[in-house]
Amino acid sequence: MSLYNRISIFRAEQGISRRQLADAVGVNNQTIGYLERGDYKPSLELALKIARHFGVAVEMLFSFDRFEPIAMTLKRAGEDE
Amino acid sequence: MKRPVIETLLSRLDNTLRWTGIPARVADEMSDAPSVDRKHRPLRWIPIWPIAFSCVLFILTLSWPSAMNNLIALVPSLGGVIVAMVPVIHMNGPLGKPSLEDDEREAALRKDSFLFCLGLLACLNCLGQPFLMILSHWQNWQTARGVSVAISALMLNASLLGCLPTLYASWTLGQLPKE
Repeated sequence: MSLYNRISIFRAEQGISRRQLADAVGVNNQTIGYLERGDYKPSLELALKIARHFGVAVEMLFSFDRFEPIAMTLKRAGEDE
Repeated sequence: MKRPVIETLLSRLDNTLRWTGIPARVADEMSDAPSVDRKHRPLRWIPIWPIAFSCVLFILTLSWPSAMNNLIALVPSLGGVIVAMVPVIHMNGPLGKPSLEDDEREAALRKDSFLFCLGLLACLNCLGQPFLMILSHWQNWQTARGVSVAISALMLNASLLGCLPTLYASWTLGQLPKE
């Protein structure tokens, strides 16, 4: 089963590099690259560490279903307002 | 003051290898504060060479013993190449230090690679040993022939054990784009 994630979006939003995130959660920076690309499924411990680093729930970062594109989310938010 | 002979000899041996850059890289990797970030570099083609050399040696020993008698000088040369290349290529790296600093992804990849390699080696040896025994009985091998085949089989096993995990891991991982 595929596991999708939004690590790169959160990382870009906070303006941190792969290396900084890797150092914060205690892995090699290549591991963050493979995670973002979906080539590696993290352990529960690593997923929780990354979620804690960004200050969000783990479901916000990882999902078994594809995440909605940001453009769609923004559009819907605009319509709601 | 006269230097001890052993120090001069070791220094000379070091100097003969220094041009390759490998001693400096090993010393840097083994230090407590390496100068460069630890990064696994995929080796997709280099590990194929020792395996190919070992296969050629094994096939030659097995199929053309008369040719091997004439090319006996080839054996130490190929053996030397294999022995020199395998520790450099081996996945655990020099003195096994990188394996101590693995994160969870690297540890899982290392485990998968060794599992694949050991599984393949077990299959090859389970099939190969009875085959060699039957062949030796059928062709009525002399002791010298048996020994040469055994040595080349040992070199093939050693090069597969040394290089196959690296080859597996290198082909499993794709190249990451630069940030």
